[in-house]
Amino acid sequence: MITQLKSGNVYDPHNKVFNLKKDIFIQDGKIINKKNIKSKIDKVINCMDKIVMPGAIDLHTHIGGGKVNIARLMLEEFHNEKDPSYDSSAIIAPSTLKTGLKYIEMGYTTCFEPALLPINARQAHAEMADIPFIDKGGYALLGNDDYFLNLLKNKSSQSTINDYVAFILKATQSIGIKVVNPGGINAFKFNQRALNVDEKSKYYDITPREIVQKLTRALYDLGVPHPLHVHCSNLGIPGNFLSTIETIKAANGLPIHLTHIQFQSYGNNGDKGFSSAAVEISNYLNKIDNLTCDVGQIMFGQTVTMSGDSMSQHRNHKHAHPKKWMCMDIECDAGCGVVPFKYKDKSFVNALQWAIGLEIFLLAEDPWKVFLTTDHPNGAPFTSYPHLIKLLMDKTFRNDILNQLPKEILSHTILHTLNREYTLNEIAIMTRSAPAKILGLNKKGNFSEGSDADITVYDKKINDIEEMFAHPTLVIKDGKIAVENGQIKEYIWGKTHTVTPEYDKAIEKDLSKFFDKYHTMKLENYIISDDEMNRLVGSPVYVNDCLRKRKQ
Amino acid sequence: MTSRNDNKNLVCPFCSLHCDDISVTTDNNRYKVNEKNNVCSKKIDSYNLNKKSVTLPKKGAKFITLSDALKGIHDLIKGHNETLIINHGVDLSGVRSMLNFASQRNCIIDHVNSKFLYQNIGVVQRTGYMATSLTETKNRADTIIIFGNKILDKSPRLLDKVIAPKNSLCSKSKKEILLIGDFAEKIVKSMKGRCNVTNIKFDLNMINDLLNATLSSDLKNVKGLSKNSLSKIKRIIGKSKYLVATWTTSDFIKTRNPKKIISSISKFIVNHNKFSRAGCMPISGVLADATSTQALTWMTGFPSRIKHIEETFKHDRNAFNSEILLANKNIDVVIHVSTINAEKLKMNKNVKNIVLGHPNTSFTSMPDIFIPVGIPGIDYEGIMFRTDNVVSVALKDIRNIKLPTTQNILDKLA
Repeated sequence: MITQLKSGNVYDPHNKVFNLKKDIFIQDGKIINKKNIKSKIDKVINCMDKIVMPGAIDLHTHIGGGKVNIARLMLEEFHNEKDPSYDSSAIIAPSTLKTGLKYIEMGYTTCFEPALLPINARQAHAEMADIPFIDKGGYALLGNDDYFLNLLKNKSSQSTINDYVAFILKATQSIGIKVVNPGGINAFKFNQRALNVDEKSKYYDITPREIVQKLTRALYDLGVPHPLHVHCSNLGIPGNFLSTIETIKAANGLPIHLTHIQFQSYGNNGDKGFSSAAVEISNYLNKIDNLTCDVGQIMFGQTVTMSGDSMSQHRNHKHAHPKKWMCMDIECDAGCGVVPFKYKDKSFVNALQWAIGLEIFLLAEDPWKVFLTTDHPNGAPFTSYPHLIKLLMDKTFRNDILNQLPKEILSHTILHTLNREYTLNEIAIMTRSAPAKILGLNKKGNFSEGSDADITVYDKKINDIEEMFAHPTLVIKDGKIAVENGQIKEYIWGKTHTVTPEYDKAIEKDLSKFFDKYHTMKLENYIISDDEMNRLVGSPVYVNDCLRKRKQ
Repeated sequence: MTSRNDNKNLVCPFCSLHCDDISVTTDNNRYKVNEKNNVCSKKIDSYNLNKKSVTLPKKGAKFITLSDALKGIHDLIKGHNETLIINHGVDLSGVRSMLNFASQRNCIIDHVNSKFLYQNIGVVQRTGYMATSLTETKNRADTIIIFGNKILDKSPRLLDKVIAPKNSLCSKSKKEILLIGDFAEKIVKSMKGRCNVTNIKFDLNMINDLLNATLSSDLKNVKGLSKNSLSKIKRIIGKSKYLVATWTTSDFIKTRNPKKIISSISKFIVNHNKFSRAGCMPISGVLADATSTQALTWMTGFPSRIKHIEETFKHDRNAFNSEILLANKNIDVVIHVSTINAEKLKMNKNVKNIVLGHPNTSFTSMPDIFIPVGIPGIDYEGIMFRTDNVVSVALKDIRNIKLPTTQNILDKLA
């Protein structure tokens, strides 16, 4: 069957198409060039006065795994949403069904869970398999696991570390590697309460810098498209921009992605000891080629913070709202912490956090290097993306809100001086083409022939940009109409994206010994096969290409 | 699978530890655990078919075909108002199908062990909580407090695998084990030599007083505890670098205030983390409680006691409490799903009882309809969650006696 989306204003940054009136053709779930169409067109959808973009991609959203379920369980009293189209689960900790429905209704077709604990990977994938519509994937957490830290302590070769990293990607069915508070989660298990970039952990005698160096190198050597996804040391601590800069330097010029960088861009100036360091961070972002980031914008209101960073979450539990929280040490693998939180517009700190996130967006010169996220739900639920887009595209709207915030923040932020307004081109880059590129999803985020027919169509005639992005008129997933005029037309089940660089299987022998000695499960039962993903977990696997053959 | 086979590293589905180092030999669909020193061998082997096993559906005492059984269930549900599904243990695919079925038929779902679940999750839903997991305890803990004596009965291999393991990554000396409760001398003896055991015979109702006393700089009077014992407890706790508190809620259920006990332990652990490291590690029930809790929570936001009403699942821990509903005669049909339960299933009076159970299931009275289903990990592959709620395991199949799965049946009924 061939479908034609006719006469839409197309945004396809990957192919340098910006606001060009053209047709898009779909056959068997894929994009097809007009010249290659060999049979009749079965369906024509008029896209006159419509904006047509590839389906949006969220590269950092906490949608599956133990910590998400803890939040759902903890916040039972919030599961009282009345919208009859959905279940009653709270949008700050939605059910899998609601997650899929809300994403697809906003035109998002691919999402990535950024903190997939290897030992918890089976659960995370099983949860995500129950999210309808979207394709998904996960970044496996490394850098706090005792096996890896032992490799470093024993001065293992980079090649061995590369084998381990590649093994983890395969065994956990992941597409990337994330490090959270490098070494800090592990150090917290030995009662260290902070770990700066060049500070040695007491037990392993290793610095976060060494961890970042080894992991960035491993991913580069293996040719994994997504660079090391880094949640830096000292999250949320005033003055932490210095450790963020040191983390950037630790990559030694190799590709590195800093996540929710808003939480890592704090100065400690002023009488409250809290200020914006967005300018300093943005300078690095703008001058270093291999550096990318997602922002983790905060929005005012109730949410829940969830993180593998048990050290930080334990430190922050006194700010819990409501007054309950949970932290956990997990399986010599990592940790987690869940702390509900309410960002208040009357709070100096929260208001400045809001401004810092926007400053980073607006100071970033290259939209291919900065990604639109709220670190769902840590900064805000993902449903606030349309509002965030309006903040970026409408200076007047932005300043109206800024003017309602505590006046004291104005001496600590330059937001009011930033006149930039994002264009639709730039929004299309940062929500589609750029995340596809940084993740190595060659078939996503573009309208090239053979790409997945994941398409979002917006109504140009809607004047309010927030409303336009909140309610696309048409969302197509894998060539099928999922949403039309706000109505769900068909339930579609996505796949799991992975990457599988090669590795020397000898690493499994050593790991097997380690598991037998120290773990409480066997290595062979830890590994998740493609077959298991398909039949038991419930999500088929799509293996994306590496950038190149392994270097060492 | 009719020939002789050796299977290694199988996952045991029958308790919440889900040990995955089980080695069995199967021969003509009979299996036998190979390890002589595995304390669970007898239990695992007991799920083999025997003379009393039922492998065909039954209506009352009469054997019927599967299609007649399915039709019978259809008719029973169709003619009645309120259908309750009670989960006595099933794998992830079973829970998923249960939810799908309930959404089609507007059923209530409860787990038979929900009363224990709600004692534990209360602390997560009301206060702060510090948790740890099995492997952390094995490798990190230097001190473990075990509250109550049932935990080692419920999870027999906890001792070998976690409390007194052969190898431990960071905890090089023998672990200090504090037994609080009424432990049989046999258990204490079995631990001696492998860890340093301090056995404190103590009324569990007084745990709050005991834990408070450990925080005081003086040696307070605690009813039923000598000052020497208190002093020793304080010394052990004070020296610990990684302390774990573990219990099974069934030990507390007959105390005056189980929630208060769990809350006291949690508060004690939270406080301990102000200056050292510690975590709680409750051991959940043996009926795949964690599997049910996890899957229902991600699919609906709620861990149990849900009902499908007006296109969505609603939760009410009192209104959808199966025990209360049955006592108040608010239920017409009960579907018991029981794939791993070794206990006799209680059939409810004044309702129609349907059982989807393993072939060796026994009942207090004959159910209206019984469909024998496969055991996850024996008859079919599946996923279950371990007690610490962070590890899930993939179960394999080792025999083929041609039983349908719970998923097969519920999907056909939906």
